[in-house]
Amino acid sequence: MTTAGSIFMAVSWGAIFGLNIYCLWHLFRSE
Amino acid sequence: MKDDPAIPTGSRQTWGTRWGVVLALAGNAIGLGNFLRFPRQAAENGGGAFMIPYFVALLVIGLPMMWMECAIGRFGGKHGHGHTAGMIASLWNHPAAKYVGALGVFLPFTIATYYIYITSWCLAFSVFSLLGTYQGLESRQQMGAFLNAFQGVTPDGHFGSVLTAYGFYVVTMAMTVAVLLGGVAKGIERLAKAAIPTLFLIGAFLAVRVLMFGTPDSALPDRNVWAGLGFVWNPRFDALADPQVWVAAAGQIFFTLSIGWGIVHTYASYLGENDDVALTGAATVGLNEFAEVILGGTIALTAAVAFFGVDATREIAESGSFDLGFQALPVIFQRTAGGGLVGCLWFLLLFFAGLTSAVAMAQPLIALLEESWNVPNRRAVLLVCGALFALTHPVILLKGHGYLDELDYWAGEVGLVVFGFLEVVIFAWIFGIERGWQQIEHGAAIRPSRVFMPILEYATPLFLGGILLLWLWHEVPAKLAMKDVPAQDRAALIGARIVMVALLAATFQIVRKASQNWGKGASRFVK
Repeated sequence: MTTAGSIFMAVSWGAIFGLNIYCLWHLFRSE
Repeated sequence: MKDDPAIPTGSRQTWGTRWGVVLALAGNAIGLGNFLRFPRQAAENGGGAFMIPYFVALLVIGLPMMWMECAIGRFGGKHGHGHTAGMIASLWNHPAAKYVGALGVFLPFTIATYYIYITSWCLAFSVFSLLGTYQGLESRQQMGAFLNAFQGVTPDGHFGSVLTAYGFYVVTMAMTVAVLLGGVAKGIERLAKAAIPTLFLIGAFLAVRVLMFGTPDSALPDRNVWAGLGFVWNPRFDALADPQVWVAAAGQIFFTLSIGWGIVHTYASYLGENDDVALTGAATVGLNEFAEVILGGTIALTAAVAFFGVDATREIAESGSFDLGFQALPVIFQRTAGGGLVGCLWFLLLFFAGLTSAVAMAQPLIALLEESWNVPNRRAVLLVCGALFALTHPVILLKGHGYLDELDYWAGEVGLVVFGFLEVVIFAWIFGIERGWQQIEHGAAIRPSRVFMPILEYATPLFLGGILLLWLWHEVPAKLAMKDVPAQDRAALIGARIVMVALLAATFQIVRKASQNWGKGASRFVK
């Protein structure tokens, strides 16, 4: 995998992890 | 939520817990496409660069439409409607509205006529993996012959007829019926609470297992998981100039989030009128994207490149999603330690993804019969599943003649975008984006950015309209004319079209009759 490929993968994974952590945090908080 | 006084208890079914709603919506969204379609789309359309239009489409179409559909569903539920026919009629006071909304009942039902059968293949192959039924078939071609024999297309020594596949279909259909008979909270929600966490655990295990393949054959150092990840993720920026890549990304977002199906609406209708839809929608999107991009993007194609190399994997990816999932991966897993168990888990993952989506597809019509025709829940479930069971027979018997693909193209691709386009126009332009956005914000546990208002009003309809125009220009005429279809398969395609037209006409008729009761019975909660 090229450096650019690694960056695309890391940024995509990071964005999705971020969205999930944000939602889970709010879901737990609103329980 | 159970104790929320806003939920009209005793009048309509409701979800048991907030987590249950999110998991049920995620169960609806996460399907076979997350694990089979996404990696293929990414690899074919620019690799990592595909993620640029993919995330643009997620922000322009996916997230705002998920919010919109959740809001329409909750709004409809408040008015006593668990189906889009009644919901769209609540948004738009016009005689045509209920027929537009009828698409959200017709489409998932039509898709379910083949989707449950495909889901049953996953159950069958998980059993075959565990029993070692295909042990010794060491090439994709042999696995292809095994799959064809199982489907009854070309019987061989393994399967003399389609009876084994039929048996697994009956079992899967019975499971679908059992879940639906439990109702929303005790059936669909309970399934989602068990299946979705299991699916994520299996997916995470498989992703780690694939990454541990390393370089399976030291004589072929180019074939390794790093090259596999590169196959999916290395960007090819020139692909961004191709409008087809943008259409592919928008299509993938549309299909993966199950937008335009009428199912999100139905599920959201079981929310209380003051319950949140903004966080619920965002959490559904997040879980679906985790399953698709992180798990789906790691398992199938990475494993294929590590074992077969880039060229062969490209060939597999181009020949179709099922070739990857049902032919290449079983061969790969056989070559690894504990391959039977890993293969079993792979197909169980697909089966859970399929089953949670399958039950969702039947629910809009069940809700319509229950709420507008006053059919008791049990009878509505048996009626809908009985009809599904009957209509799956041509799918089973005409496998290999293009019948399934024809249903999938018109209902599972074109139909969804048509309905999605119409509902966003009605929501943003007829109901009004200000009123619509108030619905999204009402009871919200997070504050959705108002940036999405003009996006939903202008960008989403333009994007979807553009996709429809491109299709009308490039694909639909050739599809209609059945170009490149062998003469012996044309009857099957015409049969599929007759079935779809008959089903659409029947749905219109059911909705027309049901609408006569909306002012009397089901809609008594309007005021």
